[in-house]
Amino acid sequence: MRNDKILLCLACVLCFLGLVAIYSVDPAREAGWSMQSFFGRQFFWNVFGWSLFIFFALIDYRVLVKLGWLWYFLLLLALGAVLVFGESDETGARRWIFSQSVQPSEFAKIILPLFLSFYLSKNRENIPSYALLLKSGFWVFLPVGLIFLEPDLGTSLVLLVVWLGMLFISGFGRNHFALVGLGLGGIGAVGWSFLKDYQKERLFTFLDPWKDPLGSGYNVLQSQIAIGAGGLGGQGWLSGKQSQLRFLPARHTDFIFASWCEQMGFLGGVALILLLGFFIWIMIRIARHAPDLEGKLLASLFGVIFVFQVLVNVGMNMGVMPVTGIPLPFVSYGGSALVVNVAIVGLLYNIANSGRKKVAKCRFRWDYQQ
Amino acid sequence: MIWDEKISEEIQHRLTVFGWICFLIFTLLVVRLWYLSVFQEEWYKEKSERNWLRIIPLQALRGSIYDRYGKVLAEDLPRFRLVLLEGSMDVKEAQRKVKEILGEEIGFQVKDMSPGEKVLIEDLPLEKVIKIEERREELPGILVESYSHRFYPAEEVLAHVIGYVGRITAEELKNLSSSGYEVWDTVGKGGIELFYESLLRGEKGYRKVGVDALGRVRSVLEHSPARLRNSLVLTVDLEFQEYCYHLLQGKRGTIIVGRPTGEILVLASQPSFDPNTLSGGLTTQEWSRLVQSEKRPFTNRATQALYPPGSIFKLVVALAGLEEKVISARTSFSCPGFLEYSGKRYYCWNRAGHGSVNVERALAHSCNVFFYNVALALGPEKIVQYAQKFGLGTPSGLDIPGEKASLLPTPLWKRQNQREMWYPGDTLNLAIGQGYLLMTPFEVYRLLCGVATRGKIYRPHFLQAVLNREGKLIREVTPVLEREVNLRGETWDLLLKGMELVVTQGTGYACRDVPVNIAAKTGTAQNPHGKDHSWFGGFFPVDQPRVVFLVMLENSGDGSGEAAHAARRLIDWFLKYRGLTDEER
Ligand SMILES: [Zn+2]
Repeated sequence: MRNDKILLCLACVLCFLGLVAIYSVDPAREAGWSMQSFFGRQFFWNVFGWSLFIFFALIDYRVLVKLGWLWYFLLLLALGAVLVFGESDETGARRWIFSQSVQPSEFAKIILPLFLSFYLSKNRENIPSYALLLKSGFWVFLPVGLIFLEPDLGTSLVLLVVWLGMLFISGFGRNHFALVGLGLGGIGAVGWSFLKDYQKERLFTFLDPWKDPLGSGYNVLQSQIAIGAGGLGGQGWLSGKQSQLRFLPARHTDFIFASWCEQMGFLGGVALILLLGFFIWIMIRIARHAPDLEGKLLASLFGVIFVFQVLVNVGMNMGVMPVTGIPLPFVSYGGSALVVNVAIVGLLYNIANSGRKKVAKCRFRWDYQQ
Repeated sequence: MIWDEKISEEIQHRLTVFGWICFLIFTLLVVRLWYLSVFQEEWYKEKSERNWLRIIPLQALRGSIYDRYGKVLAEDLPRFRLVLLEGSMDVKEAQRKVKEILGEEIGFQVKDMSPGEKVLIEDLPLEKVIKIEERREELPGILVESYSHRFYPAEEVLAHVIGYVGRITAEELKNLSSSGYEVWDTVGKGGIELFYESLLRGEKGYRKVGVDALGRVRSVLEHSPARLRNSLVLTVDLEFQEYCYHLLQGKRGTIIVGRPTGEILVLASQPSFDPNTLSGGLTTQEWSRLVQSEKRPFTNRATQALYPPGSIFKLVVALAGLEEKVISARTSFSCPGFLEYSGKRYYCWNRAGHGSVNVERALAHSCNVFFYNVALALGPEKIVQYAQKFGLGTPSGLDIPGEKASLLPTPLWKRQNQREMWYPGDTLNLAIGQGYLLMTPFEVYRLLCGVATRGKIYRPHFLQAVLNREGKLIREVTPVLEREVNLRGETWDLLLKGMELVVTQGTGYACRDVPVNIAAKTGTAQNPHGKDHSWFGGFFPVDQPRVVFLVMLENSGDGSGEAAHAARRLIDWFLKYRGLTDEER
């Protein structure tokens, strides 16, 4: 099967599993297929997202990449608006605009890769150079800083990792990374003083959750208990004390993996992980076969985003990563994230399609060269 | 182009490395998942088991008690308290938050309630309840809970009949645990509350909450409110009871008024206690002060105190004498003021003597000498036998607990209990209701009932009807004929005539000029510890008795005095406010 078709199938299956998982822990399940229930809303977002998919799959990604600056400044504008007019959520962080329906930091996950592939392909002569490293770093740190100020530690980390991924994929060397390490270390030391107490707490409790089992360690422990209680085969669909009796916090968003594992067990969990892994493998294949630098960079940056999110989210569910509020792609409840993820699939599908045509040509040329 | 290709090559290489990194990441995730859910499954399963449901019981709603006209005698009033579900918050923190919301200092009375709940504040005023309910989002794990508080509007007036409620004791729990009682339950502790516990007891509610391994309440899963089951209607007439209770004011004694067929309208006993303070929970100190009080306020003087009945007992002697034909209507004895028997003088209360008296005059003037003679002719066994025919000496089955039975002494009893032989003087004492004879005022009242109905003994009762949850009548108590004393009509006629003469000519002059014919008997019981006890009992109207009454006042002297006057006032009150025909308002 061709990459684009497999990608599409995997994304659909993941979205479906997400709906299933959200349904199983929906606190408003009785409301049925309406906007009152979480799975009802997620379904709506799926419909909306997949219509966006058509748009992104049809428009040539190179057109979108060429508009890099436009996206970038729109992003800065939206993030600025969040800081000025933003609405707070229950943790006191201002992340939302338009009455808690849109989370602009989520869109950074699609815009930053677009911008970076644009910026790098434009300056491809300077790869790899210290000047480019610093300049790209500057452009990345603007939105990352704004998101960090919201504060949204998780997303700013994701974007930072996108930049690091870009440096790595595009071939920056050891010395460059040493410099980056130094720089991030310095910034980290400064940033630590800006961290809110609850964020510091989260980072600490990650190290030893039993230190404060009722407080900040609570989530981590409950999700591990949920996964452990699932055992090999799980407690069954719609059962499991942890998720059904609501011991597990954020069981339809950040900790959906744990509630999934409690119900479906080790086997269900592995199946989900393998699906995600397979999805990322396809993304890497698309990147490898992309016809141009823009496509290669774009696809691989999306790959970096996905891997990082999966790693952090699943890791946090299993108590090996700090609780940072990063959702599980396609599966966690959340409209903005889903729409962005489906749009990314659209772009990848787009790249895979154009890649297919070019690859034929390349191969011909390659044969010819040999 | 050369740039492109060089970069492309590098990128392909880096992508391969990236692929391996991803492979490594996913392998590690799977390994960790295996570690948690397969390798350490047991440990986490056990942790999850300890995340479980907790059932928090809600105190049952107790049935109300009404008087015959629907006036409330006891009811559960809603009160509010602030409850902290344990584990959801620290008590200190909860107190701080509540204070913050109420915006003022408030006294906390933190105490354990049922398992899993702590009371923060009892009896929270309504405006504070509203304040807290408005901001309940900020107080997870803190609930405003309504609970019932037993309220007795009649206070002391009816305390001995109604009783009171209290926290179940360890001993009660042992006996009742099979019927689903638990440590924190409230049960009836006396009177109607205790006797009809099974009817009054409500249905308990409960709240099911999910609690996690760490003891925190995560969610309220189910809530079933407490409900009441039955309410009781008593035969008591609260207004009349209040009047009679206040007639006793400042005295020790009792007034019983009822129907000859068993309904009891009034049972007042002084001194009394306020059941509200008992149900509110007394301190040990207050409790022992009440119990040890010399006035013995908890003793129901109608059913739990034994007194010599004095001359009222002459009714039994007269009946026995007439029925056994020891005397007849024409039998007369001469009373010189005393009876000389085996060299000893036994005096009449009137040392001047009554002259020649027949049975009617003897009753009317309560002549001791006449009854000495009758008693000597009958012998103590016969007298006691007649008393027993009326059910005296055995508890009547009245529906309040703790009823005592009279002591009817016989030679056999004396031999067994006093290790002494029976002297003729004992018989003479028995004839006038003195000596070893002890009766509860309630048994004297039952005797009067038996006389009023000419020997039909109905079971006395307070319960008139049982209502269900919706207030519909589900059971009504009808008169139960317990036993019948079959005597000749002539015997009854003579006795009633004599009792009528008590009022019209004799010692019951206080009740003269009442628009109905009253049959009554006075009693003056000598009391070795102080002034005589004063008795006055009877019924009216004579030809068709509707009301039986008995007044007993400790240490109040002559029965024709204070007791008779109190009786007169209650008869007047009854005729004025209730009447004989239109009494069932
Ligand atoms: Zn005499």
